[in-house]
Amino acid sequence: MTQAETDEQLVRKSQQDDERAFGELVSRYESKVYSLALKMLRNPEDAEDVLQDTFLRAYRGIKSFKGNSTFSTWIYRITANSALMRLRKRQLPTVSIDDADEREAPINIADWAPGPVEQMLNQETQAAMTEAIDALPPEFRQVFVLRDIEELSNAEVAEILDLSVAAVKSRLHRARLKVRNRLATYFTEPPTRRAMGAQ
Amino acid sequence: MMTCKEVLESLSGYLDEDLKQEVAVEMKKHIGLCTDCRAEFDTLTLTIKLYRHFETPSMPADCHDRLVKVLELEKLKRTPGKE
Repeated sequence: MTQAETDEQLVRKSQQDDERAFGELVSRYESKVYSLALKMLRNPEDAEDVLQDTFLRAYRGIKSFKGNSTFSTWIYRITANSALMRLRKRQLPTVSIDDADEREAPINIADWAPGPVEQMLNQETQAAMTEAIDALPPEFRQVFVLRDIEELSNAEVAEILDLSVAAVKSRLHRARLKVRNRLATYFTEPPTRRAMGAQ
Repeated sequence: MMTCKEVLESLSGYLDEDLKQEVAVEMKKHIGLCTDCRAEFDTLTLTIKLYRHFETPSMPADCHDRLVKVLELEKLKRTPGKE
């Protein structure tokens, strides 16, 4: 059995116009790129636009890719930037990243944690979680999705977004508080109102 | 003893186990004694746990087909004599 080629090998071959090698990179990363775009944009059509835009840019730019970062970091960076541009174009009425709405009073955990996480994750809760992400300003949303959903490290997120690790940590903390406060509002609503709102 | 404000500001770092040992010990002590900060800690922990289970639909198969077509068109543009 032959050993799978590494990303580095495939990148080198792609740089020498090996179309098969680039196709292999597409197969390896297309689902991840689509998934990241969908988590950031919440819309399948927009996610597909980002997917195509990302691989077109990668195809056009592969020869100038110097390998200072890994291919996965590079492709994630193109994806995150493409998604960010679309988020900004939408001009949704999100709050400024300087607004400090995260300093609300804490809420009793007993009100919104009736059981294990797996039991809480019904359709309605997923919808509330989606709304909480949607309400984040684009720059916070990028960090939150990469760090807390994609589970990348602070250093990886910093490299992808071209930020300092300190900036990632700061944005992440504020994004988490904003998301938590949104969910708190949802969980502490009376169940009947919650159910009506979900219809 | 850390103040509640200091604890809140370092909460994410504490959850990520990204604080100096002595600060983490102080945080743990404070959270054990302060009801408000414990509520902050518990709700933030639960928020992160929930999103670790957050799922999105997988990429539809026809999405791959359209991507391949887009890249093939780009390749044709690049081929000498086809521009």
